[in-house]
Amino acid sequence: MDINVRVAGEAGQGVLTTGNLLVGALAGLGLHVLSSQSYMSRIRGGLNWFDVRIADEELFSPRRTADLLVALTPPARDILAEDLTEGGMLLFDGAGGDGAVGIEFSRAAQEAAGSKLMANTVAAGAVFAVLGYDCGRLCGYLATQFKKKGDEVVAANVTCARRGAELAGTHAGRIPAPAPAAAPDYLCSGAEAIGLAAAAAGVKLVTAYPMTPSTPTFTYLAAVADRYGIVVEQAEDEIAAVNMICGAAYAGVPALAATSGGGFALMVEGLSLAGIMELPIVIVLGQRPGPATGLPTRTAQQDLKFALSAGHGEFVRAVFAPGTIQQCYELTRRALQTAHRFQTPVLILTDEFLQDLQKNVPPLDESPRPIDRHILEDPSPDYRRYEVTESGVSPRAIPGGEGFVICDSDVHNDCGNITEDLQTHLTQQDKRMRKLTGLTAEALPPQRYGPDDAGTLLLAWGSSYGPCREAVDALNAHGGSAAMLHFSQVWPINAAGARQLFGRPRRVISVEGNCTGQFASVLREAGLLEECELLPRYDGLPFTGEYIVSGVNG
Amino acid sequence: MNIGKADTQPAWCPGCGNFAILKTLEEAVAEAGIDRRKLVLVSGIGQAAKLPHYTRANVFNGLHGRALPAATGIKLANHELTLVVTSGDGDMYGEGGNHFIHAVRRNIGVKAFVHNNQVYGLTKGQASPTSELGFVTKVQTHGVVSVPFNPLALAIVEDCCFVARSYTGDRDHLRRMMVAALAERGGFALLDILQPCVTFNKVNTFRWYKERARPIDDSHDPFDREKALRLALKWGDEIPVGILYRSRRPSFEANSPALAGKTLVAQLAGR
Repeated sequence: MDINVRVAGEAGQGVLTTGNLLVGALAGLGLHVLSSQSYMSRIRGGLNWFDVRIADEELFSPRRTADLLVALTPPARDILAEDLTEGGMLLFDGAGGDGAVGIEFSRAAQEAAGSKLMANTVAAGAVFAVLGYDCGRLCGYLATQFKKKGDEVVAANVTCARRGAELAGTHAGRIPAPAPAAAPDYLCSGAEAIGLAAAAAGVKLVTAYPMTPSTPTFTYLAAVADRYGIVVEQAEDEIAAVNMICGAAYAGVPALAATSGGGFALMVEGLSLAGIMELPIVIVLGQRPGPATGLPTRTAQQDLKFALSAGHGEFVRAVFAPGTIQQCYELTRRALQTAHRFQTPVLILTDEFLQDLQKNVPPLDESPRPIDRHILEDPSPDYRRYEVTESGVSPRAIPGGEGFVICDSDVHNDCGNITEDLQTHLTQQDKRMRKLTGLTAEALPPQRYGPDDAGTLLLAWGSSYGPCREAVDALNAHGGSAAMLHFSQVWPINAAGARQLFGRPRRVISVEGNCTGQFASVLREAGLLEECELLPRYDGLPFTGEYIVSGVNG
Repeated sequence: MNIGKADTQPAWCPGCGNFAILKTLEEAVAEAGIDRRKLVLVSGIGQAAKLPHYTRANVFNGLHGRALPAATGIKLANHELTLVVTSGDGDMYGEGGNHFIHAVRRNIGVKAFVHNNQVYGLTKGQASPTSELGFVTKVQTHGVVSVPFNPLALAIVEDCCFVARSYTGDRDHLRRMMVAALAERGGFALLDILQPCVTFNKVNTFRWYKERARPIDDSHDPFDREKALRLALKWGDEIPVGILYRSRRPSFEANSPALAGKTLVAQLAGR
């Protein structure tokens, strides 16, 4: 069984703090936890919420409905009440009535600890009591969390948590909740998994101009920079950010930039530069709805075709689109390896939903394991950076040795020097494009989930893995016959691998966070698909299992 | 030698100031005792930006206006390299103006040698950010109405480590300025080099600069910011050349904990 707890209020009220507190404490009980967020682009006011879904088995997707709603403002109560499940409970920070249980979290915090700031802790205590979990475990979690802030802070938080549990015990009933299981006690968000993988893989320069939803990856890397020996620089703009990592890559250091659609648009010329200079750079592109500034804090999968075609001229690239926390880690590492192996830019497509998604997973490897940079040691004085090879990959030296390393954004000869000789241009262009063969040979096949003979095949890419997987389970549990084919590498497409897993479905439905079916179009171009149905979502909110099920069932 | 020098003939007009800058740079690099294997010349786009191809060094000839962020990335990756950005006024002050502002703020250990001929050469004669008021071109048909950008004043206001001006009419002076900039160990060094454009700038000619360039008096204290700023604001009949300003501000590298020991690239060596 699973239940969904939703904490909702204005920006600045501690929705995030309460949510994170619950996620940590509930994961500590051994429960499977998955959290997601819905927030507005503002620092104060509005209506934000934080969902914590808990279960006794692994979770993959958020849910639209909530079983327990903790409303910190009247609009949170009034607007979100309709998403309460039957038998669900609404705790309201104020007077009760109309189906809401009134518990004054702020007032209780003021009375118990002399500060309204700890209303979050009171709320967490109340949630624990309603779900029938041991408040002592919450208090233990608080003690670890606030240890650094001193005994007084710990004691005040513990008092508040107990007060919340007491108030809920008196005024609210109980909701049946999953029994604590043996879920891993290692919480990670998509944003953190990407950052962690980059740090562990030996990325030494990280640049960005802050932009939602890539910022959490940037701040994560800043937080671990001293531990891993990374320079993290907030560039004056995305143009600087991408050119800085191009410079670092030239000098032999794995480097990464993080951005979102608008910032990526500014990086496009730099991407083209990495293409012609054959520099191993990696860019994390966190998607959100556009065009232009769009909906800054919402989610989308609208930049796929942009990512595949960004950059003037023609050059090779790889584009990864992780679907789970583990894939965020593994594919970031792979993106860096691929960039270095083929000396070309690689993109990681993520989005607000996956960046902010947190869940407990088996511990990710935090130890430094630098990737192979494929650097030619001791180049001779007659070294030529762009030596023509069959694979298209030239031996790559870095400056500082006997052979000069010469790179140019202009068409260049095999030495790297500017030329307008058209035959040389063709030779070098063909050399670069030949790398596509190697890139394609190494492209990841999609993953299939569900029965081999499924009548309905859901095509998914990137962050919709979890929601699609839950939809497949739900459809099959109710007599349906569905499977999912999920692509975590969207360029180049491993067509042979995909064909093998395609099966002979009666219905093919492309599930995409955009309104034009961009991925279906890519698959058609790859010769993998004729016509298919489109199950789009582009209102700014993430897919959920229910959303996909109802789309499939029409 | 892999420079391919024989087939890389300069694409400059006969009489271009770039020739003097190239020749002087060769001399200055030798005089400063810089190991060319550890020298990286970075440029953007423009006629000046082609200079790195005509010398023996590591080269990063990047995008228009983006030489400074690329040089910043290279310096951070390996701060034992000597980074010299050699590009024109359009590249550094126009297309790359934002990066110029922030590279100086950041105080990254990069030497910027800006070929400033107050006009766009490669695109054939349009105004540059340093063109003077009233300068008539095929685009600015009624003359330039925007005031010229003052790179030296901006750098001084931003407490740049080394701010100097020279001109191609006095190669000995230019060489000394380059050597001083190359010797700067603190952080960002700006050397603005006035040069004629024989094809597109008929106003600020070789003679025009020669008549106006005035070496800064030996009594000037380059650590005096206000006096340096006053010098930077001088332009017209007298144009001060020499070291206007110096600052002891620590470099970006010195302020980066990750660069306290080995260079970033050395931290990965052998893996």
